[in-house]
Amino acid sequence: MTDRRDDGERAAGPAPVVAFDHISKTYANGTVALRDVSFSIPARTIHAICGENGAGKSTLMKILFGLEGPTAGQVLLDGQPVSTATRDFAGRHGIGMVHQHFSLIPTLSVTENIILGHEPKKGVLIDRAAARAKVEALSQRYGLAVDPDAITGRLPVAAQQKVEILKALSRDTRVLILDEPTAVLSPPEINELFSRLRDLRDHGITILFISHKLNEVRSLAESVTVLRAGQVAGAARLADVPDNMIMQMVMGRPVEITRREPRQVTGEPLLVMSGVSLASRDPADRLRDIDLVIHPGEIVGVAGVDGSGQRGLVSLVTGAARPGAGSISFDGEDMAAASTERWRARGMAHLPSDRFTQGGVPALTLIENAIAGTDGDRRFQRGPFLRGGAISEAVAGMVEDYSVRALSIGERLDSLSGGNVQKLIAARELATEPRFLIADQPTRGIDVAAAAFIHKRIVDAAERGAAVLLVTADLDELLRLSDRVVVMFGGQITAVLANEAHLTPERLGPFMLGLEDMP
Amino acid sequence: MTGLLNIVADPATFATVLRVMTPLLIAALGILISDRAGVFNLGMEGMMLTGALVGVLVSAWTGSAWLGLLAAVVAGGLMGALMAFAVNTLGANLIITGIALNLAASSGTTLGLFFATGDKGMSGALKSGVMPSIDLAVLGSIPVIGPFVSGHNVLTYGALLAVPLVSLMMARTAFGLRIRAVGVDPKAAATVGISVKLIQLKALILSGVLGGMAGAYLSMGYVSWFAQDMTAGRGFIAIAIEVMGMGTAWGTLAATVVIAIAETLAITMQTLGLPNELMQMIPYVVPIVILTIWTARGRAKRAALK
Amino acid sequence: MNRAFLAGLVRLAITLAVIGAVLLAVLIPFALPHEHPGTVIAAFLLGPLSSLRHLGNVAEYATPIAFTGLAATVVFRSGLFNLGIESGVFLGGLAATTAALLLLSFGPFTPFVAIVVGAVVGSISCIVPGELRLRWEAPEMVTSLVLNFAILYAGVFFLNYYLRDPAAGSLMSYRIPADAKLDRLLAGTRLNSGAIVALVACLAGGVWLYFTRSGLNLRIVGQGPVFASHLGLPSRRIIMQAQIVGGMIAGMAGAIQVLGLYPRFSWTQLPGLGWTGIIIAILARENPFYVVPAALFLGYLQVGGDFLARDIGIPSEVVGLITAAIMLAVTATAIFQHPAVLRLIRRIRQVEAAR
Repeated sequence: MTDRRDDGERAAGPAPVVAFDHISKTYANGTVALRDVSFSIPARTIHAICGENGAGKSTLMKILFGLEGPTAGQVLLDGQPVSTATRDFAGRHGIGMVHQHFSLIPTLSVTENIILGHEPKKGVLIDRAAARAKVEALSQRYGLAVDPDAITGRLPVAAQQKVEILKALSRDTRVLILDEPTAVLSPPEINELFSRLRDLRDHGITILFISHKLNEVRSLAESVTVLRAGQVAGAARLADVPDNMIMQMVMGRPVEITRREPRQVTGEPLLVMSGVSLASRDPADRLRDIDLVIHPGEIVGVAGVDGSGQRGLVSLVTGAARPGAGSISFDGEDMAAASTERWRARGMAHLPSDRFTQGGVPALTLIENAIAGTDGDRRFQRGPFLRGGAISEAVAGMVEDYSVRALSIGERLDSLSGGNVQKLIAARELATEPRFLIADQPTRGIDVAAAAFIHKRIVDAAERGAAVLLVTADLDELLRLSDRVVVMFGGQITAVLANEAHLTPERLGPFMLGLEDMP
Repeated sequence: MTGLLNIVADPATFATVLRVMTPLLIAALGILISDRAGVFNLGMEGMMLTGALVGVLVSAWTGSAWLGLLAAVVAGGLMGALMAFAVNTLGANLIITGIALNLAASSGTTLGLFFATGDKGMSGALKSGVMPSIDLAVLGSIPVIGPFVSGHNVLTYGALLAVPLVSLMMARTAFGLRIRAVGVDPKAAATVGISVKLIQLKALILSGVLGGMAGAYLSMGYVSWFAQDMTAGRGFIAIAIEVMGMGTAWGTLAATVVIAIAETLAITMQTLGLPNELMQMIPYVVPIVILTIWTARGRAKRAALK
Repeated sequence: MNRAFLAGLVRLAITLAVIGAVLLAVLIPFALPHEHPGTVIAAFLLGPLSSLRHLGNVAEYATPIAFTGLAATVVFRSGLFNLGIESGVFLGGLAATTAALLLLSFGPFTPFVAIVVGAVVGSISCIVPGELRLRWEAPEMVTSLVLNFAILYAGVFFLNYYLRDPAAGSLMSYRIPADAKLDRLLAGTRLNSGAIVALVACLAGGVWLYFTRSGLNLRIVGQGPVFASHLGLPSRRIIMQAQIVGGMIAGMAGAIQVLGLYPRFSWTQLPGLGWTGIIIAILARENPFYVVPAALFLGYLQVGGDFLARDIGIPSEVVGLITAAIMLAVTATAIFQHPAVLRLIRRIRQVEAAR
């Protein structure tokens, strides 16, 4: 390893710091994550990498960070090919990464987290004075103030992110990768982060900023590479391109949302929440003063940055949590203290966001997953015994109906792809013809055809008269399906908007970021 | 009541507490290291048993108690390495591996004893060494306190010394820091270039070394023979102690003292005519009660936070 | 033919191959120093099959461990690692003896009554750690581990002060009355009617887990606790139910062992049958239907060990080594989830699917 500072400052035609040269990655299960990706990043710039979920951003960064090797192609650092996926690759090459889910150990102190893996020593012991001095020096140099002795897990999220950045910078770092760093931050914190990142660039650090939020990309980065379905869909200097062109690169099609026919909702609302608050250890679950109504046949979409209180909202209407204040009624009945069992008995159905832990049991068969929770259903049960024949027949029907692709209904659930698992869960949850459907990220991470299918079934349920609560991070999906859109920020509802033609993601943005609030 | 008072004030009672404590403390510290590294050592009972037999055999063959101790420690370390291999290389379940190790040790030591002595029950035919007791000349001569602090087995002093050493290792060395990191979040630890498997291997070897030592104390500490299944569940009490000690060396010491006092009381109260068996229950009931109180309090605290 | 069945056969074949390899790997070092190593192996492997009486011995050994294997299966299926079955066996044996000695005779129903008492009392050993876990989150593995010993000493106290026969040489109970004893099934062995109960219990356990609603719910709660709460299943009740049933089965194991085999109750140590039950549950992959063959297999090993001890002079503890090695080998994901194995299974399924 040569002295890298000199490399970067070599005057005559410096090679780009990082270059991807025809990188492809195919996983053992046959998933193609990256296909012939080539692009390079000049030194001392902030470069954004955009793309939808599953576009290959994370895989590419895992390769650069040395967690995985490419199937074909190579990574060049300063023009030199390097073999990634070797032990401590990132540390040796001065690459730091701020992970979306922090890689901090919550029980260790800030200093311990930062020095972990390259501890300064005095004899057999850790040189604590040197370690502390190092943290303080780093913290001062980059303007990231932290308490070196604090226990990391007890710090607020924004402070933890500072620790994560310091940790990433602690080993003569010259390339810093940030994976969706703003997802956990509030707008002022985002501004603070961005100005720190600009400082870092001015200190000579090259920054790779991974995001799917265009406004952030524009305000921070100088250039952008867009990935779509594992390929480079385009690259540009941000100053040269308008937003909708980047959007088009990301989406792969002109952005045009086909909305559902607006419906006239009449009559009494089915679900009424008023003045509801929820206390929780996790600030992302807390709710304050929520008022929400859903009518029969109406789809209410909930928009918001991850962790704005959506999870708390869902837990209240599924019986997983009890409100601290306020009232919740369903069809006129007080449900504030209702258990999940009671919600289900009233006709609640739930497509949960985490399919494999909340939506089913991976180790059980399709049959068993499909009839779970149908206790007492005479079609499936005679006394305590399950009616094998009738069940097989019914499940085969569900699988057929929802075009679940499986070798047989006796297979384990985890032999199915994500989309098929979700279809099976939908088949089970909708089989009861629910009066109230909660769809939480119903199509996240599944293929387009399966997503379209799920969408259709959700709409069908509404047309049969179900009240639908749709929680989704996918604004396209939100605007396609919803009759009404509710925006959450910081545990509160910041806007309630009718889903009309002029409602666009851009219009929702300020509410989602807490910049605007509807009275 | 005076009977009881006499017992409490007697240096012999204090010696009994230390005697009971020694193997439990060493074993619990071993479990602590493995637990903090995320590889809970349920095989401690088996490691102790193996150490007990190997110590007696080697010391009988070589005529040296110290070589016996060394062999016991090596045997324990090897079992720790075997456990790491089974879990991290073969991909066997950690708990099942611990149970299998206990079973193998229980059968293996009986076989070993049989092939070495022709007897399945006791090693009475072998002349084993005994770890020496140490008279602390200066301290020993102090009136009143002297008889309490001096004249105990070398491994007893070793066990007491191990508490600050383990504490220092966990808190202040790079190895300890990495153990704590790996035990909480192995994936995060791996992202900074730490080899999780290597740390866990080392932790289990160290755990086994302590297990072997604890076993050697049982067979060579105050007796000089090995008997079938002589650990009699001490490895399991050590597990309870470690859990009560909340994963810290000093907490483990405190929990060991509590259990050792309970067991000593059980032993001495028999002399007062109380039913032997009921007294023997005490050291097993105490950890259940303490653990339940602690987890219940922890839960109440978390609920209050909500 | 069913694809899943064929793929299952692949796993079974690998399991058998692994068990065979482990058996030989452990036995051969013991056989080699012997004059005729072949006879050592033959004594072990063929001895148990050499006569009806020896097969009876196999079933006799298998009886209590089939019960404890079933008990461990039921308890583990609830997702709790409750080791209380070990003392459940002890408690069941003690309580059944007490019932037989102290209660009036119920004629031909005496053993039945004694076993029921044993089962009910034995279940305490699993209920206590389960309740401490559900109510206060005390770690059930640790509490059950030490509770086993607490129960042992409480039981020995009871034996010493209430059941002890002063005329007997050592610490043991009065003679168990003849009408409380189980019928022997095969002359020359101690195989008793308890074996039939064990078989029926395992089959019933399998039917419960796989063919009833409550069994399905138990498996959902154990394997998908978060899903269970999303479904609104009463998880705590279901988990506690499994501890009660598992503990009762463990208690039955002890009761039947004592009433079927022994003239008096004389356990002053934990009998170890609970630990063996855990091994069986693991070998049987927590499936009650497989508990029967797994228990018979361990019984076969045990009789093989007896042959070694009697004919060759090698202690039967060799069996423990073999069992431990088998435990590790059959749970090693490195073998059963080896890419080559998974590929093979996938290919079989796809070939079948293509037809």
